[in-house]
Amino acid sequence: VSLVFCWCPGAGQDVGRSCILVSIAGKNVMLDCGMHMGYNDDRRFPDFSYITQNGRLTDFLDCVIISHFHLDHCGALPYFSEMVGYDGPIYMTHPTKAICPILLEDYRKITVDKKGETNFFTSQMIKDCMKKVVAVHLHQTVQVDEELEIKAYYAGHVLGAAMFQIKVGCESVVYTGDYNMTPDRHLGAAWIDKCRPDLLISESTYATTIRDSKRCRERDFLKKVHETVERGGKVLIPVFALGRAQELCILLETFWERMNLKAPIYFSTGLTEKANHYYKLFITWTNQKIRKTFVQRNMFEFKHIKAFDRAFADNPGPMVVFATPGMLHAGQSLQIFRKWAGNEKNMVIMPGYCVQGTVGHKILSGQRKLEMEGRQILEVKMQVEYMSFSAHADAKGIMQLIRQAEPRNVLLVHGEAKKMEFLKQKIEQEFHVSCFMPANGETTTILTNPCIPVDISLGLLKRETAIGPLPDAKKPKLMHGTLLMKDNSFRLVSPEQALKELGLAEHQLRFTCRVHIQDPRKEHETVLRVYNHLKGILKDYSVQHLPDGSITVESILIQATAHSEDQGTKVLLVSWTYQDEELGSYLTSLLKKGLPQSTP
Amino acid sequence: YRDLYTFELQAPTRLIECARGNRVCVATNGQSDGNEILQLIPPPALLTKETQGLCPERDFKVECGGISECPVYSLKYVPDTSLLVTSGPSDSSLQVWQVSAEDSDVIKSVSTIATENGIAQSWAKIATISARTPWVLHGSRLDRVQITEVESRKNVYTAASRGSEELSNLAFLDCNTLLLCCATGRLCLGDIRQPQALMEAVSVPLAPCSEQWCMGTRHGAQCSELSSQPVARLSSRGLLTLIDLRKTSEFLALAKARVPSPGSGAEFLCVSWAPALEGYLAISGFDGTVHVYDSQSWDSSGREAEPIFVHKGHAFGGAGGSRDPPLVTVHTWHLQKPRTLLSAASDGSLHVWDWVQPCGKC
Repeated sequence: VSLVFCWCPGAGQDVGRSCILVSIAGKNVMLDCGMHMGYNDDRRFPDFSYITQNGRLTDFLDCVIISHFHLDHCGALPYFSEMVGYDGPIYMTHPTKAICPILLEDYRKITVDKKGETNFFTSQMIKDCMKKVVAVHLHQTVQVDEELEIKAYYAGHVLGAAMFQIKVGCESVVYTGDYNMTPDRHLGAAWIDKCRPDLLISESTYATTIRDSKRCRERDFLKKVHETVERGGKVLIPVFALGRAQELCILLETFWERMNLKAPIYFSTGLTEKANHYYKLFITWTNQKIRKTFVQRNMFEFKHIKAFDRAFADNPGPMVVFATPGMLHAGQSLQIFRKWAGNEKNMVIMPGYCVQGTVGHKILSGQRKLEMEGRQILEVKMQVEYMSFSAHADAKGIMQLIRQAEPRNVLLVHGEAKKMEFLKQKIEQEFHVSCFMPANGETTTILTNPCIPVDISLGLLKRETAIGPLPDAKKPKLMHGTLLMKDNSFRLVSPEQALKELGLAEHQLRFTCRVHIQDPRKEHETVLRVYNHLKGILKDYSVQHLPDGSITVESILIQATAHSEDQGTKVLLVSWTYQDEELGSYLTSLLKKGLPQSTP
Repeated sequence: YRDLYTFELQAPTRLIECARGNRVCVATNGQSDGNEILQLIPPPALLTKETQGLCPERDFKVECGGISECPVYSLKYVPDTSLLVTSGPSDSSLQVWQVSAEDSDVIKSVSTIATENGIAQSWAKIATISARTPWVLHGSRLDRVQITEVESRKNVYTAASRGSEELSNLAFLDCNTLLLCCATGRLCLGDIRQPQALMEAVSVPLAPCSEQWCMGTRHGAQCSELSSQPVARLSSRGLLTLIDLRKTSEFLALAKARVPSPGSGAEFLCVSWAPALEGYLAISGFDGTVHVYDSQSWDSSGREAEPIFVHKGHAFGGAGGSRDPPLVTVHTWHLQKPRTLLSAASDGSLHVWDWVQPCGKC
């Protein structure tokens, strides 16, 4: 029996950061290394001292796996590898590897430059950290060492997000990271094969949510954009380079075409450069429809969407502009924002979560007077809207994934325990598996029944199958043999062969028991009495009286001698081999009861 | 529309019950997913007066859920308690459940109330009241109507038998009066103080016809005189009759709704009065739409009535393809917001919508 420990220095009833430590068959793997977006101090990092009190993390951990580039999954990685200290391999998909450092650097800039924090990782640390990263492809089995292997599966959710299978021998764990079971405009749905892991660790942030339909959200988005443009206002949409931006572009393009709108839509040039760089990565990670569209035309050859020039921001009249960076904390999107903020006809639509300290976060929290550089106050009169198209699996999605993977146990992270009791019951009832919901810092132990493959010798197999009833293909058959364990191989052979291989002689174990019987007659008469007695009782057994005066019951031997000192007592010697222990003990106790008087 | 929110449940529901504290309850019956009772908290966006189209909190939250062994077709909260009662086919008893949202998110089954239901396909219709003690009125047929005390499961009333027609729905008009609507259209009034006297309020022609009926009553005040609120009856052919129970010899009004024919059966026929708008009612169950009418303009001519608003969302919402268009299974009015309704359809969709009054009225 092996144990799979699962313990969450971050996630587990703590929405905000993911960091899970799994111990499987002696290997230790860290899953994600996220930062808590709500805290400003050391609480935002997971407490790594939990992992090992002394001793280096590099020695203790076999590898670190990052599921996707969201900061609540990778934000603490440079802190972990460079400030706490870890030099082992870090695995993630190619897009994640490309995008992570950008987000980390952005985040570092905001925290250190804008907020003046000191205990934080540096740009160099981010670079050094990324040097330890090994990028993996989907469905590629990666050997971390001789025993540990990992494999990435498509998770949907964001560009490059993956679910990981961690396997040691025949024990495995699947970690989902964040995933989504319904495809959207630019990403497919998560998928996994029937890999039957011992444990499936699934996020459950949206398990108790019934999400409104995307169509509804898109309709509202378009309505807002349309209304703003109709009244002559300008719409600013700060985006990260790739991903949702594409989706929104396609949406707007189609809408503009259908409604025959004339207002210009711009895509800032900063994006074009980065976008071309990610283009190749993006293509294999997106869904069929997008791939077809992009094959037909260059991604920026939308009919209605043109490249942006800084000067256009001052143009009169309505327009829609996509600009980076996504949280309005610097660069072009912030510049445009400052120009347009004072006009209430204008609108800014934030497409995702904004980190604390950014302008994006401030205006979403309701702040309407912002302090800019040089103590300048910016009054925000433009409309501020928030919209999230980020996709997570809901209860239905979680059940779907469990149905696909067929795990033996399920562990839910990312939600509040009280509110997951219903889902836990649902899972346990429907799939007959155990469902765990650990709290932050809690250790969960899951017992597994590993299958140990053993080679059986052909001779033994033939011999054993010949014994007893015919083998039934559907039922397990019990076989007897000797298990030889050498190095890492297990073999089942016949006892004789085992002895031969090991150069051991076969030993026989024989038991002899003395039973005293009161009988003054001659020995041979006693023997006859015993014989008749046993023959009468043991009707199903072969009881024989041999010419030499001994009795055999099957292979058990009984002989009678007179007691050396007392002629009235006879001593029966009952002797049997180890194999006949049961019958031998039975015979002995039977004889100890004495012979019936009536026997002649 | 002023607002339209569309959601997708794991499986379709045939009931939507609004409960105090702005909760909404549905029961999903899926083949592979099992039967669940879900108590939902609507998104905050629905609670506020102004529309906030892109508000981040746009999702329903499952506050608590229960797993039922049998499909749940009918559900009623028991007022002033934390209990609810359900019934469904293939289960000849009523299930009583406990909702304790603060402690856990599981709706627990606590007891069963045996009914005399024997037939597999029909199920007891239920209504609840907590005037003296919590009671549930139930019955699948006219000759099987009983009132049972929820906690003690004692029978407190058995209606005299006046036939064995199947019931479409039943209701408490006040703490002493109950109203039964048969699928044939017959309406019977009962007074629990006089169990032998089950009065026929509206009779039907003896000739059998394929038309099936259901009724809608306004949420009556408790323990008051027989309400002057009219009762609405809806038939599977789209006929709407309004009846004043104090004067049942003639209809208050008669109108015809524009519905597709042949109809799709009477399984999901639903008619309900708006709690906050005088004279407004809604009907559904014919196709993927919900109609809202202002009955104050009706007379007894039986003319075709023009709906004030038609919600077509369910007909367009689906994934498309060759499957049958979705059928609205149930609708209900929001308890507080006057022009907000909730509706569900056979494709698992759940819509919450608020319509804009055509110009002229407020």
